[in-house]
Amino acid sequence: MTAEDSKKKPAGDEKVAVYICHCGGNISDHVDVEALERMAAEMPGVTVSRRNHFMCSDPGQNMIIEDLKAGKADRIVVASCSPALHETTFRRAAQRAGVNPYLYEHANIREQVSWVHHGDGATAKAAALVGAAVAKARALQPLEPIRVEAIRHATVIGGGIAGLKAARDLAIRGVKVALVEKTPFLGGNFAKLDRVYPTQEKAGDLLTGLAAAVLAHPSITVLTCAEMIASEGYVGDFKLKVKRQPPQDAEDLDKLIQLKQAGTAKGTFVPFVGILPFDVPVGEETVDLATGAVVLATGFKHYTPPKGMYGYGDNPEVITLPDLIKLMAEDTAGGGTLQVNGRPIKTMAMIRCVGSRQIPGIHEPDEKGNLNEYCSRVCCTATLQADRELREKYPETVIYDFYRDIRAYGRGHEEYYVGASRDGVLFVRFEADAAPAVARAPEGSESPLSITAKDTLLSGQDLEIPVDLVVLAVGMVPSDVSSIVDIMKLPVGADRFLLEVHPKLRPVELATTGILLAGTCQAPMDSTEAAQGATAASVKAATILSRGFVELDPYVAAVNADLCTGTGACVETCPHSGCITLVDAAGGKGRMAKVNPALCTGCGMCVAVCPNIAIEVNGWTLRQYEAMVDAIVGEPIVAEAE
Amino acid sequence: MAGQGTKPKILILATEDCAYPGANSVGQAHLAYADNVYVLRTREPAMFPEKFYLDCFAKGIAGIIIMSCGVECPYEGAYPALSKRIDRVYVSMKERGLDPRRLRLTAICTVCNRAFINEVKKMNDVVSELGMPGEEKMATAAA
Repeated sequence: MTAEDSKKKPAGDEKVAVYICHCGGNISDHVDVEALERMAAEMPGVTVSRRNHFMCSDPGQNMIIEDLKAGKADRIVVASCSPALHETTFRRAAQRAGVNPYLYEHANIREQVSWVHHGDGATAKAAALVGAAVAKARALQPLEPIRVEAIRHATVIGGGIAGLKAARDLAIRGVKVALVEKTPFLGGNFAKLDRVYPTQEKAGDLLTGLAAAVLAHPSITVLTCAEMIASEGYVGDFKLKVKRQPPQDAEDLDKLIQLKQAGTAKGTFVPFVGILPFDVPVGEETVDLATGAVVLATGFKHYTPPKGMYGYGDNPEVITLPDLIKLMAEDTAGGGTLQVNGRPIKTMAMIRCVGSRQIPGIHEPDEKGNLNEYCSRVCCTATLQADRELREKYPETVIYDFYRDIRAYGRGHEEYYVGASRDGVLFVRFEADAAPAVARAPEGSESPLSITAKDTLLSGQDLEIPVDLVVLAVGMVPSDVSSIVDIMKLPVGADRFLLEVHPKLRPVELATTGILLAGTCQAPMDSTEAAQGATAASVKAATILSRGFVELDPYVAAVNADLCTGTGACVETCPHSGCITLVDAAGGKGRMAKVNPALCTGCGMCVAVCPNIAIEVNGWTLRQYEAMVDAIVGEPIVAEAE
Repeated sequence: MAGQGTKPKILILATEDCAYPGANSVGQAHLAYADNVYVLRTREPAMFPEKFYLDCFAKGIAGIIIMSCGVECPYEGAYPALSKRIDRVYVSMKERGLDPRRLRLTAICTVCNRAFINEVKKMNDVVSELGMPGEEKMATAAA
């Protein structure tokens, strides 16, 4: 490649080096990179314009480093692939050359030019994007990561499978942990399972081992009957207030009475209850926690069908899948036929997608107007598992399984479907707008209920089946975490589950650095996935806290003291309490805004409301965008022929 | 070389967490769209005041598509604030004789490549019909 320093000198003091990547033909097959190199050389502020077959290669990066070290430029633009791939690569190259890594801008001329446009238009558009990047680069300021001290302590909220797993994984990475559980028990919904797919292990056995490891670990403090009531601070230094109080929930009190009557030892797993690790508190107390990261593992609730849905609440013979699992686990007698309330269940029906995949116009929203349009995912395989266990334990019970679709998506799940089919479970497919109807059976019928449906796989044939039991495969809904959402200002999705930043690019992270998600608080998932999410969250939290300090992206709001007149509009619009405050301006010039960088997420909502543009997000300023737009609408630069 | 200067230009403000990867996914799928479209990566378009949009039109941008994360926005309160702001921009556009169709707020996910192309096509149809910003005002006056 030839190096070509521009003859033109910049209008300002900035010296921009532009590097154009061929990407081995991915770009250069459609963009005239030689012409682009010449056009870039003519752009205001550009002192160096070069190209290379692969800018990400060592020779490509060395080209950047040599130019910067030689003082030919003080900031760079690389025109190549998506910034997601090599933004960090080129920032590091600048850093190795002794240049601030934030004096770098990326022009995406592969995914957004050569792969979508061809011919002259591609080159002209590439030139416009390079021009915009140069314009922004000229307006960049050196930035430094924000460094905050980090306490090597994490708080896990929720003592179910995800919370326990997260606590244990954090502790074995050397992080002290406080595990905060609302109820007196550890285990959450996992304690209400019998066997878990796909291994068919006893949930109680798994939970016993995990809880024992947590309770025995010297770095873990378990607080039961405890709820977070206040939070302030930021990653590395959160200050939480946790209130412990005697249990109030009627279900919890009932379970405590059962345990006391049974004389169950503390720390022992009790099926469908969990593990009571300690005595419950007799009075209220508040515990202050200084913690570096927070892992939310607040779990889910089973959907409760409204009275009348598929006969639920009107007929004792209509139960939910969790009810069935408990019935089967507690039936030690076995025999050829399942017995429920003394009645032999000769024929039963499963109905799937209850409270999941709800469709506007077909399904009724709940009293709060919520419609669960998502798939709960877990109920498909859980129902297949129940089908198989029923057929194995009660071979004389006939099972009709009414489904809209079956999603046996996980490893080993399809085997449950194949097995249930082989075991003689009768599958009946229905459409969402023609769901099975459950009614009391006619007088004289041997079965108490009758179920009618159209089987779409049999050309819409009408079926009427007398059944002794109907089991509703209910979906998952988020736990009520409204108080935590309010206290910590957490984003919630349309499905009301907590919302990670991005499922692929930043899984289990929230936009607020240092708060992570584990398990079903973020979406329906099974216990395997919940445990995986817990490990991911704990590893991320441990990594954040590992060095004793945290370096945050410098992309936070910053106030220009010369422009700020202290209107307070930014304070009012910022969703994070304490992030922006009004303070006395220097020299007795009234009030001005001040940003706590550790609390700022860099959303920029403050920028839009400032009448003086006195507050900007570092690295993403309004003025930089204006410069980019000016470059895009400006006259196209014509390349001089060589 | 065919210059971009002769074509009405469309600006896309794409969130870095959702729509910008979505725009990249169009390239990764090697799907084509018009080359008068310029994607600017943003952290969150709620940062742009009303004036920014009006200035863009004044500078000659013919259409703007805000490709947000929609209700999946990771920044608490940002999407409702953005939505309200765009409503105010529409009012200002009408006052200036600008057709509100030149500005569109939408949500594009990381794999929404068909939706991306559809949005680009629809905006190109709009700017083809309306011409450069202000031309609709002249057309109305002439009528």
